[in-house]
Amino acid sequence: MSDTAARNPVGAPQMLADALLRSLAGTTALLRVTGTNADTNMSELGLVTTTFAEVVVSPAAMRKLRPSWTEGGECKWELLMSATSVAQQVSALDLSSAQSLFAMTLAVTVAGQDYLIESVASNEAFGQVYLYRLLLREASQLAV
Amino acid sequence: MQNAKDSFYMALRARLIAINPERTILLRGAVRPGILVEEAEAPFSQLPSDVFVLRWLGLGVDLDLDSTMAAAECEIVYQTAGTQSFGGLDRGRSMSAMDVELVAMLQPFSTPKLCYTATPPAAMLTHVFWDEPSFGPVAAQRDRMSRSVKLMVYSYQEQGE
Repeated sequence: MSDTAARNPVGAPQMLADALLRSLAGTTALLRVTGTNADTNMSELGLVTTTFAEVVVSPAAMRKLRPSWTEGGECKWELLMSATSVAQQVSALDLSSAQSLFAMTLAVTVAGQDYLIESVASNEAFGQVYLYRLLLREASQLAV
Repeated sequence: MQNAKDSFYMALRARLIAINPERTILLRGAVRPGILVEEAEAPFSQLPSDVFVLRWLGLGVDLDLDSTMAAAECEIVYQTAGTQSFGGLDRGRSMSAMDVELVAMLQPFSTPKLCYTATPPAAMLTHVFWDEPSFGPVAAQRDRMSRSVKLMVYSYQEQGE
């Protein structure tokens, strides 16, 4: 939802969201993003190890969604992330938008557990995003 | 069978570049031809549109021959929602264009088998070959049309494989 009313953008919604996330035992989320891909044939065949970088986003809060059990189904979670922190990382990585950052994210790690991104939503006030909501699914254990 | 799978993908990739160099995808920070192997990429919550996605399914082995023959079932999935400039109203035409491209990519029905674990890729003694594709019906889901095409890819197992 976006507010199209003509008001000067202020940082209050972001600060309020950050304060709420911190007060809700805000944690740190690590976005595992792929490094620069040389686009070799090998990388397209899964033959070379891709370089990864971990992008730190804080504060963030996890909440478990209402369980809808299915055979072999993994738990789903919602990760609430600070828009200011995401904006800082988008700027640091010289990306065009937060969507680009989420698009290049392979997995999200919170408290040592990996999750896969199912979808991304955001909340806006005064035309500015103050919170990102990531729908996550628990990732399978990877072989060492 | 991995060499055959790799060779099959690389053959289709090279043919797609020749047929329609404008069909590309931005993936993992690189612009690549619009074809990918699903099992070699990060899991998708939704398959990307306007690209060919290769998915390997069944596997069979014939041991009664002089050389063991392996056959792997390959599913090629693609979907489109049309183009922005047409407001998606050209999605049928986009689907037809991808159908034609795929038929062209699959011909001829064979390619030399290479070992891509070597650098540069080492040519092997045999070819990888496949049968005619079986086109599934178009599945329409709101503004998105998708199709699944299946075919069998065969190769003889060589020494060391």
